[in-house]
Amino acid sequence: MSKDNSQTFKISRRTILKSGAAVAGAALAPGALSLGQAQAQDRANTMVVAAPATPQSLDSEFDVSLGTFEAVACLYDSLVEFEKKPDAGVPTASREDITDYPDKPGRVNMVGKLAESWEIDPDGTWARFHLRKGVKSNWGNELTAEDVVWTWHRKLALGAIGGFFANTISLKRPEQITAEGSHTVTFKLDHPNPLLLKLQPNLYNPIYDSKKLKEVATDDDPWSKSFLENNSAGHGPYELASLVRGQQAVYKGRADYYGGKPKMENVIFKEVPTSANRVQLLQGGAVDIAQYLQPLEIIQLRSAANVAVETIPATFMIWIELNAKIEPFDSIDVRRAMNFAFPQEQIIKAVFQGLASPLTACMPDIYPGYNGDYWEYGKQDLEHARELLKGAGLGDGFTTSLAYNAGDPVQEPTAILYQSALKEIGVNLELKKVPAATFYNNVTERKQPMIFYVDSPWCPDPGYSMNLYFHSKSFINYSNYENARVDELIDAAAKTADQTARLEMMDEVQKHVMREAPWVFGVFPNYTMARSKDLMGWTYYTSNNMRFQDFYRAS
Amino acid sequence: MTNSQGGGANGSTPRRDILAGSGPRADERRIDVYLSRLRYLLDVLRARPLFAVGYVIVATVILMAVFAPLIAPYPPETANPDDFLQSPSWRHLLGTDATGMDIFSRILYAPRIDLTIAIAGTAISAVVGSLIGATVGYYQEVGGVPSFFSGFVMRSADVLQAFPVFVFAIALVAIFGQSLQSIIAAIAFLNIPIYLRLMRSQVMSIRRMRFVEASYVAGTPDRYIILRHVIPNSMAPVLAQLSVNIGWSVLLTAGLSFVGAGVVAPTPEWGSMIASGFQNIITGQWWPSVFPGIALAITVFGFALVGASVEVLADPARRRAMAGSMRERRVKEA
Repeated sequence: MSKDNSQTFKISRRTILKSGAAVAGAALAPGALSLGQAQAQDRANTMVVAAPATPQSLDSEFDVSLGTFEAVACLYDSLVEFEKKPDAGVPTASREDITDYPDKPGRVNMVGKLAESWEIDPDGTWARFHLRKGVKSNWGNELTAEDVVWTWHRKLALGAIGGFFANTISLKRPEQITAEGSHTVTFKLDHPNPLLLKLQPNLYNPIYDSKKLKEVATDDDPWSKSFLENNSAGHGPYELASLVRGQQAVYKGRADYYGGKPKMENVIFKEVPTSANRVQLLQGGAVDIAQYLQPLEIIQLRSAANVAVETIPATFMIWIELNAKIEPFDSIDVRRAMNFAFPQEQIIKAVFQGLASPLTACMPDIYPGYNGDYWEYGKQDLEHARELLKGAGLGDGFTTSLAYNAGDPVQEPTAILYQSALKEIGVNLELKKVPAATFYNNVTERKQPMIFYVDSPWCPDPGYSMNLYFHSKSFINYSNYENARVDELIDAAAKTADQTARLEMMDEVQKHVMREAPWVFGVFPNYTMARSKDLMGWTYYTSNNMRFQDFYRAS
Repeated sequence: MTNSQGGGANGSTPRRDILAGSGPRADERRIDVYLSRLRYLLDVLRARPLFAVGYVIVATVILMAVFAPLIAPYPPETANPDDFLQSPSWRHLLGTDATGMDIFSRILYAPRIDLTIAIAGTAISAVVGSLIGATVGYYQEVGGVPSFFSGFVMRSADVLQAFPVFVFAIALVAIFGQSLQSIIAAIAFLNIPIYLRLMRSQVMSIRRMRFVEASYVAGTPDRYIILRHVIPNSMAPVLAQLSVNIGWSVLLTAGLSFVGAGVVAPTPEWGSMIASGFQNIITGQWWPSVFPGIALAITVFGFALVGASVEVLADPARRRAMAGSMRERRVKEA
């Protein structure tokens, strides 16, 4: 919320009331949805989003709930971002250019955000960012190098999500981030790290307004955790006008944003928990975007008037963890058999309605370094699965269980189809429906023999992906997979800037992982944008969220 | 002393007197009695045709449960991804769900689970609730520790019934784990206060009757009096409640499954079928949830009708009133 709220509140309140009334009306009478004349004048610069949830906390250090992604993306900016390019499959959409560019610094195609220029050591031991001058936060404070330093010190001090990022780029001590004058900041590492630049655009690496946050800090809360839960202090294109959890968040475009005021000046982010209701609201014209829809709903919306549906390959991956520390999944042959029995093709057709592709690797197929050649489970082969089980001494089959998330509608049908397939090789799969609220605890406890997991690594780098899921010491290696050679390669790749050598190392890791199958390789579900036809500008980000500042009305 | 000697609490003719004896005359008499009862039942069904509908529905549901393996054209728990979300056709009478399972077959199998849970849960609650209710009612007015204990039990039942039933059921299943036994236990636990109260109020009036007092004076132990004299003469309202409760339990089972606290997928169960199919209604595939919903509604309706008929037939005053109206109708017809 800005210091000049009083000046703009009348305008935003009217807009909010009109849009809110439209949404409420739409919810009551979805068949006769209309924004009405009163709102028509604001429609050009107002966007209403139907989302499954409003943000829980606005502090990216601690919260990874769905609504928080969009909040962080519009309230904050990072130092740099990937250049955008048109999507090859969907001409109306753009996406980040995450291609590996051997001739560019850091081998990435980036443009400045809060930093207008930067230098990076070819060996990856330091990076220097020259900040844009005259950039104001939503509290009116000018961006300085001290903001960047304070931001990273906070990450190191709190040691949560930001602490993980700091560790990933080998930042251990506060003195490794230093201000050189008012608008230059330098990161110095003890050894080369290939992700020093690549991790900067990550959605959860925003830069804070340290002046404001120091003002609101207390002795008990020196890093302003309480303040950031409900407020923002950043340099992004929007500021928070209001947040009523469980109902809606309202964002207001900032006139003093260094990149110019966003076209969508007002964004109403409305919580509509049921996807069917989100579909109805979009069809009726009461909202401009309906998030997280079911595959069948997406198919249905394709024929709806005034609705555009764009679906593109994304970084999402769905797989089943096979717990390598629980029998019989300590056997590689059994894990491979589970993969050969998985009816992937049928699941893509029946459950995902074709809006997904086979998970042919242990990392996103749109990232540099992906190699699909090690994929051998493409065709369901029950005979081979039986042979593998026989070889593992389980010719008569066995009984195990699969935990799935009650809150994810694709997991239950996937589990049922898999159960039927496994019956044919003598494996009795018991299904455990876990409430959404406790599902993640079940994943992190690592006590289930098999459990679904959905994730996407938010850095387009094979080393980052492999480290997350397959290093024996990684906190999200939920399959308890352990291979000394894999650990050795991941560790080596994290300490060299020689990208060619790194790609070779990660290729070998993929080879081991795909053969030893710590996952049942599921699918890459597409990312789908369901929007009003006249709402243009959608850009896909590897963090699988949207940014309101990209959108504009065609008319 | 038996209930026949006491004349029965509800004033009905003691069964043992009529059917007593042996030999050809006794057999003829027995046949006459059965025939007259059958005629009476037919008269009742003519007078109240909805009761007949209830009996037909309940009988059909039970037959479905028993003969499902013979009638169902497809296995109820085998997915067929090549046939997902097929609309009703001759191949799949009621269509298929999102995993290609045949809805008709699953609807036929569903009563096996729903009725098992409902009947087991209701039976347990009726037995336990009646026993506690009888004991509480018997000792309610004797004073001292037994009365205090009775009061304590009744207040505990008040507390139990103060919770919203459905929320309480979800909590119980969450605590004991998602299994058939947990759902049965939850339903039994929730129904106990109903039977407890019914039985207590009946017993409190029966307890003052002469045959109970005579038995007490004769030195018959309390346990024997409760089990042999008091409970048998207090069962009528409990029996009437049973059918209604079974229908209600079917609904509760389905409700628990609908919110994900019921049976484990892909067990054929109406509530879970409705839950897994309701998202498809918006996309035009109505059949995965509508047909199980209709089956559920009809079943609950059937049990409610049977419950209503038992209530009428078990109440001498209402039975006499109905007999009177039947006589009047016969006279008019004549």
